[in-house]
Amino acid sequence: MAEMTRRRGRTGYLLLLPAFLTLLVFFVLPFYSLIATSLYDPSGSDVEGFEMTYHFSNYWDAISDYSGPLFRSLVYGGVATLLCLVLGYVLAYAMAFKAGRWKYLLLVLVIAPFFTSFLVRTLSWKLILADDGFVVNTLQFLQILGDDGRLLATPVAVIAGLVYNFLPFMILPLFASLDRIDPRLIEASSDLYAHPFVGFFKVTWPLSLPGVVSGTLLTFIPAVGDYINAQLLGSTGQRMIGSVIQSQFVEANNYPAAAALSTMLMIVILAMVLVYVRRAGTEELL
Amino acid sequence: MSQVADVPTEQVGDSSYDGLRLRGVSKTYPNGFTAVDTLDLDVPRGSFIALLGPSGCGKTTTLRMVAGLETPTSGEIRLAGDDITYAKPYKRPVNTVFQNYALFPHLDIFENVAFGLKRRKVKDVEAQVREMLALVELDSQARKKPTQLSGGQQQRVALARALINRPEVLLLDEPLGALDLKLRRSMQIEIKRIQTEVGLTFVHVTHDQEEAMTMADTVAVMNAGVIEQLGAPEELYENPRSTFVANFLGQSNLIEGTVVSRGSDVTSVDMHGIGVSVPTGRTHTDGEKGWIGIRPEKVLIGEEGEALDAPGNTIPGGVVTDVSFNGVSTQYLVRMPWGQELAVFAQNTGRTRIFRRGDRVELSWRPEYAFLLDFSQDASAGAQKGD
Amino acid sequence: MLQGVGAVAFLGASAAALKLPFFGTDGFEQDPASCRATDLSASQMKLIVSNWPSYIDADEDPSTLSIFEERTGIAVDYSDDVNDNAEFYAKVRNQLGSCTSIDRDLVMLTDWMAARFISLGWTQPYDKANVPNLHANLIDPLRNRQWDPDLEFHAPWQTGLTGIAYNASKTGEVRSFEELLTRADLRGRVTLLSEMRDTMAFLLKITGANPDDFTDDQWGVAIERLREVVASGQIRAFTGNDYTQDLAAGNILACEAWSGDVIQLQADNPDIKFVVPEEGLSLWSDNMLIPNQATHQANAEKWIDYYYEPAVAAQLAAWVNYICPVKGAQEEMEKIDPDLASNPLIFPDDDMLANTFDFMPLDAKQSNEYEGDWANVTGG
Ligand SMILES: Nc1ncnc2c1ncn2[C@@H]1O[C@H](COP(=O)(O)OP(=O)(O)OP(=O)(O)O)[C@@H](O)[C@H]1O
Ligand SMILES: [Mg+2]
Repeated sequence: MAEMTRRRGRTGYLLLLPAFLTLLVFFVLPFYSLIATSLYDPSGSDVEGFEMTYHFSNYWDAISDYSGPLFRSLVYGGVATLLCLVLGYVLAYAMAFKAGRWKYLLLVLVIAPFFTSFLVRTLSWKLILADDGFVVNTLQFLQILGDDGRLLATPVAVIAGLVYNFLPFMILPLFASLDRIDPRLIEASSDLYAHPFVGFFKVTWPLSLPGVVSGTLLTFIPAVGDYINAQLLGSTGQRMIGSVIQSQFVEANNYPAAAALSTMLMIVILAMVLVYVRRAGTEELL
Repeated sequence: MSQVADVPTEQVGDSSYDGLRLRGVSKTYPNGFTAVDTLDLDVPRGSFIALLGPSGCGKTTTLRMVAGLETPTSGEIRLAGDDITYAKPYKRPVNTVFQNYALFPHLDIFENVAFGLKRRKVKDVEAQVREMLALVELDSQARKKPTQLSGGQQQRVALARALINRPEVLLLDEPLGALDLKLRRSMQIEIKRIQTEVGLTFVHVTHDQEEAMTMADTVAVMNAGVIEQLGAPEELYENPRSTFVANFLGQSNLIEGTVVSRGSDVTSVDMHGIGVSVPTGRTHTDGEKGWIGIRPEKVLIGEEGEALDAPGNTIPGGVVTDVSFNGVSTQYLVRMPWGQELAVFAQNTGRTRIFRRGDRVELSWRPEYAFLLDFSQDASAGAQKGD
Repeated sequence: MLQGVGAVAFLGASAAALKLPFFGTDGFEQDPASCRATDLSASQMKLIVSNWPSYIDADEDPSTLSIFEERTGIAVDYSDDVNDNAEFYAKVRNQLGSCTSIDRDLVMLTDWMAARFISLGWTQPYDKANVPNLHANLIDPLRNRQWDPDLEFHAPWQTGLTGIAYNASKTGEVRSFEELLTRADLRGRVTLLSEMRDTMAFLLKITGANPDDFTDDQWGVAIERLREVVASGQIRAFTGNDYTQDLAAGNILACEAWSGDVIQLQADNPDIKFVVPEEGLSLWSDNMLIPNQATHQANAEKWIDYYYEPAVAAQLAAWVNYICPVKGAQEEMEKIDPDLASNPLIFPDDDMLANTFDFMPLDAKQSNEYEGDWANVTGG
């Protein structure tokens, strides 16, 4: 009897093992090693190796050297996320409520371009926004851009690229939560004297908040860390933090600085996400 | 085919009528299906009307057109004289209690009930909501979310949310459909009480005939997009004008007959060789043939050869084929010489014995209870199976 | 450089392969004499090669590759998985740094990375007797590199020039790097290469230093000069290969460019010109290295010697369009395609080659520091 109980107890732990190992291998170990690397003495190199000196000032150095790109990444990521939210909401709303039986087909069409490579998609924006291209010419004709104005190699192009590349991350959760809203609730609000506009803000919007929150998180986090868009569509003035980390790691082989920047980026994003989720008051929802 | 014969068509567009008036209203959905077909309906102010009909007959569609959630394909809807056919739903003094309640899940009970008042920027919301919650006995639940309430409580919230706006017309779309029988009965009484108290016009949709007859002043029986007959519950039951109404409301025996003569008081009909008469006011066909209708509880049953206490002819030659005793009454099926089985409900007064299967019996009924219907109608229209 | 999306995850994963506890890491230096595998070439007729994309005529029939296989009986396992020097380094550094095999017999890396591999002791010396063609046929400007003067460890595969390209239909001739950095009509329509050594060699030249041999102070002056140029808005971006698209689309008027890319662009757009800047020419090569623990060294040497036959080199150059590092190939090219034989971007003449310079090899310390400076200036 006692043997049986013990056996069962052990089986329970055995069943947890795969989850535990997965967590260990894919989260704990990399994270642990990232933090360890961020505390190495920065005077090391691949030839001599790196010494662990708990060099916490790696963090301070990283902040003072790269606050520019870090701040810029947060701004670009934030603006891109906002634009994604506006665009994505309109699209997801139309698909969920107006597209009828075409909605899933439309959903596939919206997502389809994203089966091609990230790089190819981003490069294609170079053609769209080219100096002699249709977009720039039109804007010049409308006097919105000066005659030698351009979009490529400006923040506009970088943000446009970010918006385009991360839009599906916004649309999918938005669509999922809008599609779940019972249209009869909207009818009920209209029946109760709410102008469609008011009904939207009193009923549709609050009910779609879970999608808004997860969509903005899913967009903001990768957009802040992205650097491909800045690299391909931007100029020297648009470099984002991801690109600093990448070049510190791959080009300069300054692993402690790269690790400190990565850790810091994670902390900043985590802090912003926590504040945001609190403020959005998702616990108020169902 | 409009059955609202007593409403003269000259009144279309008349703005003096102070109730809800539908004239020639049709709705054809984009897929080509006509759910409501040239429907006429008058609902006097302050009355309680029940729209009764089988599933899919267009009840919800009719309500939605009144609420403004659906636009009629043709026809006209007037409320207290104003043409509201194309008015926006949020501009109509009409509120709906939805079939599934459609309570706002993100708002608490108080906010749900206050929703309409706040949209209209009414003052004194707090007090009015408290009062309304007291009326539906939910004062203690004000800060709960809809999902934290029972079905009956949610139903009352839905009612309160609509009622608080004191609309000209309150539309109720099968509000009790999801409740169990006991709760349904008590909610029926409660809704009726509230309606009497507030004195508003209620249009109540249901496919439960008992609910319709107990609650409403007027019942409109709908079938396939039209109103078959409209009237007080007793009138509809006692004097149905179509086989559909005869079968849908309660149960009827419909027997083939040939009109022999039409007098000023009665119509004489030959029923498989037996002469029967039907009052002129209950004769609803001009044809040579007709369906003679009689409710099972109006049929008297007796021993063969025994004189029955009825002024009409006796119909001999019946054989009991089925007996079901349920205490208060006994239900028989009696096979007649022409092969048809008639239903008979006999009160267990103790004056007659309870017959057994195979007994030979004679039937009879008072001529004033019979009615005569158009022979071209399907004799089984509206019959509910297993009821 | 464009790969490596999600640098954070990448960093975490690679760092995880390091030692775990909160201790430091050892250096990565190895001794090729001890860190070597037994050569199985005699028993296994096999060779594993890693090269850059579009760098061999493998799709032709017959190709230099198929002829090699036929002639030697060696089965070549060829892959084009080298996309970026620094990235390739990041990929293999844990293995080579701990004397573990990377399952390759031959890899092609650009001069500076080849120099780093050699200085870390990660590559095997050739058996000189097995590569006579290399010693006989390598063109003179590529001999006597500081980091491997006797061709013990490397053999150039293909060579290129770094110079200036411009679109002649949109702007006047651009003769010098100085012009590229200062001409007002080019403002904001110029790109430079994001490879630090390519671009900084020219800046060192402009600021009066010798890229083959300079001091920290001279570096400081050059990087400062670049900072000013960037701040002035002259430079639109620092790019990898993608400058070709911008040049073709007219987004930029002139740029720092690699000769091979320009030849390919010219095929579609004859207005694209390549010029040898007045400051001189930067000549670079991608070099064949035999990594430690390679098991088919003798087969690799056969490959090297084969590609240093002039006829083979000419056949390859006719397809690849880069500078051919093999003497005598120009004569062989006359037989294949006389036009190409007279193309100075494939067979540069002595005038062109008179003024070439190289970038001095950097030790790890300098490299970290300079790359850091470079990243800060190019990143804004
Ligand atoms: N949007 C629509 N498009 C097409 N047909 C519809 C639509 N809505 C309802 N119908 C059809 O119209 C008919 C009437 O529908 P309605 O909802 O009015 O029925 P109902 O009388 O309320 O039925 P129930 O008692 O089942 O609620 C049905 O046959 C239904 O299938
Ligand atoms: Mg319905």
